[in-house]
Amino acid sequence: MKKILSLLLLITIGCSNNQDEMIVNIYSQRHYDVDQLQYDNFEKETGIKVNVIKANADELLQRLKNEGDNSPADLFITVDVGKLWQATDMGLLQKYEDSSITDGITETLLDKNGYWIPVTYRSRIIVYSNERVKKNELSTYEDLADDKWKGRILVRSSSNSYNQALLSSLVANLGEENTKSWANAIVSNFARDPKGNDRDQVKAIAAGQGDIAIVNSYYIGLLLSSENEEEINAGKAISVFFPNQAEGDRGSHINVSGIALAKNSPNKSNALKLIKYLTSDDAQKTYVNNTFEYSVKPNIEPNQIVKDWGSFKKDPLDLNMLGTERKSAIRIFDAAGWK
Amino acid sequence: MNVKSLTLIISLVLICPLIYLVYSVLGLNLENFIYLWNNLLVGYSFNTLYLVFLTSIFSLILGIIPAWFISTSNFKGKNFFDVVLFLPLAIPSYIIAFTYSDILSYTGPLQSFLRNYYPDIYPYFNQDYLQIEILSILMALVLYPYIYTACRISFSLIGSNYINIARNLGMSKLKTFFKIIIPISRVSIFSGLFLVIMEVLNEYGAVKYFGVNTFTSGIFRSWYSMEDVDTASILAVCLLIIVSIFFILERYSNSKYNYNYKSNDDVSGNYTLNRSSKSLIYFICSIPFMLGFFIPVIYIIKNTVDTFSKIDLNELSILSLNSFFLAFVSSLIIVVIAILFQFFKKISRSKTIFFLSEIVSLTYALPGAVIALSLILIISAFSNFSGISIVFGSLSVLIYAYVMRYMAVGISPLKSSFEKHPESFDQTGRNLGMTNYKIFSKIHLPINKTSILIAFILCFVDIIKELPITLILRPFNFDTLAVKTYEYAIEEMIAKSSIYSLIIILFGTVLLIFLRKIINKSLNVS
Repeated sequence: MKKILSLLLLITIGCSNNQDEMIVNIYSQRHYDVDQLQYDNFEKETGIKVNVIKANADELLQRLKNEGDNSPADLFITVDVGKLWQATDMGLLQKYEDSSITDGITETLLDKNGYWIPVTYRSRIIVYSNERVKKNELSTYEDLADDKWKGRILVRSSSNSYNQALLSSLVANLGEENTKSWANAIVSNFARDPKGNDRDQVKAIAAGQGDIAIVNSYYIGLLLSSENEEEINAGKAISVFFPNQAEGDRGSHINVSGIALAKNSPNKSNALKLIKYLTSDDAQKTYVNNTFEYSVKPNIEPNQIVKDWGSFKKDPLDLNMLGTERKSAIRIFDAAGWK
Repeated sequence: MNVKSLTLIISLVLICPLIYLVYSVLGLNLENFIYLWNNLLVGYSFNTLYLVFLTSIFSLILGIIPAWFISTSNFKGKNFFDVVLFLPLAIPSYIIAFTYSDILSYTGPLQSFLRNYYPDIYPYFNQDYLQIEILSILMALVLYPYIYTACRISFSLIGSNYINIARNLGMSKLKTFFKIIIPISRVSIFSGLFLVIMEVLNEYGAVKYFGVNTFTSGIFRSWYSMEDVDTASILAVCLLIIVSIFFILERYSNSKYNYNYKSNDDVSGNYTLNRSSKSLIYFICSIPFMLGFFIPVIYIIKNTVDTFSKIDLNELSILSLNSFFLAFVSSLIIVVIAILFQFFKKISRSKTIFFLSEIVSLTYALPGAVIALSLILIISAFSNFSGISIVFGSLSVLIYAYVMRYMAVGISPLKSSFEKHPESFDQTGRNLGMTNYKIFSKIHLPINKTSILIAFILCFVDIIKELPITLILRPFNFDTLAVKTYEYAIEEMIAKSSIYSLIIILFGTVLLIFLRKIINKSLNVS
């Protein structure tokens, strides 16, 4: 018994924080292999050790909030800008102040309040069956409410934050009433109840369970570069369509994976160095070639697979609106019966 | 310190999330709850009930029938089946859900094979498999061992008298089974079913992937998406009340029905078998094992072999060590506390201690994430109040959360074992001038040895599978096998996740085989 107790004591003490170390502590929603690669490279370059806790954004937010002043976190990373806004709103972040940190990053992707910094972005696009849909039948997100899509649309659940962000952008652009009727109409066009993840929607098109799907762009890249031949075939059975591209239209909905300084960041200067590193040209190239996301720097070209889809016009909406409109978006989902 | 106050302190430390929850509901804001009630709650409740109902039915079928045949018939390979029918318990429900979705998906091996070689029958298999009914079957496939084990013990203890009498009265086999055996065994069946229901109510990952919104999804929708802790707490308390009802029912039925088991009366070989009934038995006993263990494990092994060159063995050994260490230490603490509680209950015969030792089991009803988050809240409140800063990312907090969550798993086998032994043991000890400590170390520890081991193994197997608590409370750069499996699986990289799931299953399998052996030995089950 004594041995156990002393062991426990050891664990507790062994994990206490030391100040003034060459470390940076991250709470991250990103858990791809490429992220670890970036951190390893950063450590090699600077000697600063990167410590990471990976979990869902919401859980990390709750943890940050409840830890309060005692939080060891320096940085908060998400794959949905809505959560960055939420963190700002909950008072969990601090401004980055050093404006040189955003040099070279596309202006429209930046946070107007100066809290978070975009690291990559992705578009929520439409993919369609090469067999059963002609490209000229597609036009806008709004058009998905049309009767011609009855029983043909595939999409995942409304608890997914990418869908919540898309609907928030519609609320911001079209207003609440229009979005409500859009949501009601699109739900009646669903081919099946929302389920699975984005890749499952593409597979369901290939399987003939529906004709078009709303998915994040990089999933198509991942599918096409899969090691499973059947997955590549499924990826080839569909094509990519960027909605709302017509002259005068707003452009396709985009979302940002971003990073922000925690309010009580104990290793602030190290944290800023890591932000600079992740937005550097080298790191940006690593992102685009491993995860098929888009770089936030206009000079970094997308991966060839992504490039083949062509360039597209991005919705210039203030990205914070994807957070501010979130609650009304969720209520609209619920009222429309979007599971 | 006397026994009562020590029990009280340990209990308080263990149930503080419950106290916090109930406390937070007192100052609630009903507006959002009414909204949730009007829009979603009816659907959520229906889904939950439907899922619990279906999973229970399938678990009962998969558990009771093989247990019956194995207990009452002699056939070749019986011992083999008796061991392997237990093994699906080693597979976490999220792993079986993701594995089967992959096997059955459009790009998975089954559909690809049929598409390429049997295009005529392929269309029948091109289905949407992400259905609530399929989910319930998958969950039943890994949860039925709870019922199987309970039934195995009960059927073997019934003895052949009941069966012989029924037969002499002209009852058919089927009638005997339904009219005599099932009613006699209902207490043990219900205790197994109780665990199945708890697991279903807690399940989150697989349920979300299948697009099934349950009560637990409702808790997270309010907490996360609506940023409404109040409503989440109300829902959690509702869940707690539902579970408490089941809990009380289980305890009530346990205390009410006391059948007279004749443990040395062998029931096996009671029915002679002809060839066709033999093949039927093989078929029936194979199904749960094949679907619940063999097929998914083979698929996972195949994926492991495919990705073997990419496996970082160094990382793998660290993860295995982390998982092992956490499960070992936490299980040990749970078992120690559980033993103390049972012993205190015995020597003090105090109602308070009895009540406390029951109530610490209730945290089992709360979803892991709720426990983790309320623990953060309580600890930060404590730090602010006392000025002592506690680092969240320490393993001790993680272990604390595990102990809280899995107390019930450790208590349940110990409780029944301690209750079985008569008071006269203690009295005799006392008459011989033994101190409480001596009674404990010389009498209770040795006679409850088996159940202590059982409690430890059950906790270990559960904790090594644990996911939400680990995700939320773990220290920096600290991964476990379960966490790694999950990270790859939700990104649909099933192949990459396979080595980690395989090790979890391996740990569980070895321990469960061992457990099977000691249970059978101690009960003299044949």
